[in-house]
Amino acid sequence: MTQNNDIVTFQNISKRYGPFVALNNVSFSIKKGEIFGYVGPNGAGKTTTIKILVGLLRKTGGNLFINGYKMPEQKELAHRFIGYTPQQIGLQKWKNIRQMLTTFGILSGYDKRLIDRRIDELLTIFNLIKFKNTKISKLSGGMIQKLGIIQALFHKPPILILDEPLSGLDPESRFQTKNLLKQLSKNGTTIFFSSHILSDVQDIATKICILNWGQVLKIGTLEEFKNEFTKEKQIEIILSKRSEKLYEINNISGILNIIEKSAENIIVNIEKTKNSDEIIHNIIKTLLINDCKIRSISPVNPSIDEVYQFYLRRGGGYQ
Amino acid sequence: MNFPLILKDELNGFYKSWVMIFLWIGLPLLAIFIHISIPNQAGLGSLSILTALILTSIASLLSSTMLAANIINEKDTHVYPLFLIRPIKRWQLIISKFLAVYICVSIALIISIMLGITIDYIETPNLFEFILESVIDPFIMVFAIMLISSAFGTLIGVLSPSIVVGVVLVIFLGQYVSYIPTAISFLLNIGDPLVMVLVTSIITASVLLGIAILVFSKKQF
Repeated sequence: MTQNNDIVTFQNISKRYGPFVALNNVSFSIKKGEIFGYVGPNGAGKTTTIKILVGLLRKTGGNLFINGYKMPEQKELAHRFIGYTPQQIGLQKWKNIRQMLTTFGILSGYDKRLIDRRIDELLTIFNLIKFKNTKISKLSGGMIQKLGIIQALFHKPPILILDEPLSGLDPESRFQTKNLLKQLSKNGTTIFFSSHILSDVQDIATKICILNWGQVLKIGTLEEFKNEFTKEKQIEIILSKRSEKLYEINNISGILNIIEKSAENIIVNIEKTKNSDEIIHNIIKTLLINDCKIRSISPVNPSIDEVYQFYLRRGGGYQ
Repeated sequence: MNFPLILKDELNGFYKSWVMIFLWIGLPLLAIFIHISIPNQAGLGSLSILTALILTSIASLLSSTMLAANIINEKDTHVYPLFLIRPIKRWQLIISKFLAVYICVSIALIISIMLGITIDYIETPNLFEFILESVIDPFIMVFAIMLISSAFGTLIGVLSPSIVVGVVLVIFLGQYVSYIPTAISFLLNIGDPLVMVLVTSIITASVLLGIAILVFSKKQF
């Protein structure tokens, strides 16, 4: 059975295609209301994981529970709780948007009397209401992508599993969708999504999993990733006036070294264990005493791209 | 109950597809053309029988090709995953598609054959009872052949990796498979041949559909 309040439990899952190992003992769990960002390079095994999660692919080994139901044995029960957006959204092209959403709505068990209202509600949110009676074959790729998300949200499932949901969306739609996902998460919906766009993961994920060559490299919150990534804290100083006595700050306790990016731009590495507020205070005091003029001083945080590259370079997984 | 919904959906899709529009218009036109172009000689009996057989061979080829191409296309364009992640049985997807095509093409055939009978009646009103009697057997044969060719098209659709391969298989093998019941009935020569054809048609179509459902159920998307 699942542990505590885990909605999704993915235990030691393996998937083989003949001699090729697509997933090798992958494990993670997702709690109610979490937004789980699943990242990794092409061929890492993201889509394979997602297809196993929704019961489209059979796992070679391991255990999977969705909302307490064992997959794939109880997949028909589990499917009631899942909304899924695949990477390649295939829709019957002869239908119009309304027909397509009505079919999926009824099949998902949504109340027939409320379907029209729900269609209007979702199409309005995604700015597709004027295309309600337009054939799928006439829609653009971005619109199809939105429909892929809409059909997943339609029956208000407690678990959303989205494979690259934001790719192909324009910036405004991407922003709206991210806000919608955050709102759904606040209301208790659990969201699993894969993405290549790391800034999207950074924006909405409450937990991140990096996958490479079928193996999990790291799971944690963004803060946990950054803390482990940075051996020391960094402070960036930009000066409007520099003096020869600038290097006096080397004598401040807790400072490891100074890197000059340019004459006015300096990076100061400080010990991770030290109180950065105290050190920044001392830096400012020392610079002012030594006739330097400060334009700005701020802590440097590693970007999600740097963190991602760090874990991929550090390696893991088989090749 | 999701099956009626899926079947209704498939019927909606097929009856206005390009192939069906061709059949809705083309088959009756062909029936008229045959009646106009071939003189109804006394030795030939009713032209309706000839019309029924010609139209059936065209309709069965088109229905099996249409089914195979449609299923392969939906596999290629990733249509099935969005159905399969909902509480729905895989056999429902296959049977609804088979029935939709079978029903649509059968209706188009009935319309065309009825048109032929009407023309026969106008031309030779005194032979109408004879025409009606003589057309019943070919009429049943028509639907038996249609049943098998549609089931064969469904199986090829599930098995074939590409539309080209599927269409080639349907065209070259379909006609042989369709005439299996007739051949069995002829070889065994037991009881009423028409009943034998019907029974063997239903059994053959059920076996073909059973294999198609089994393969589709094992498929990973």
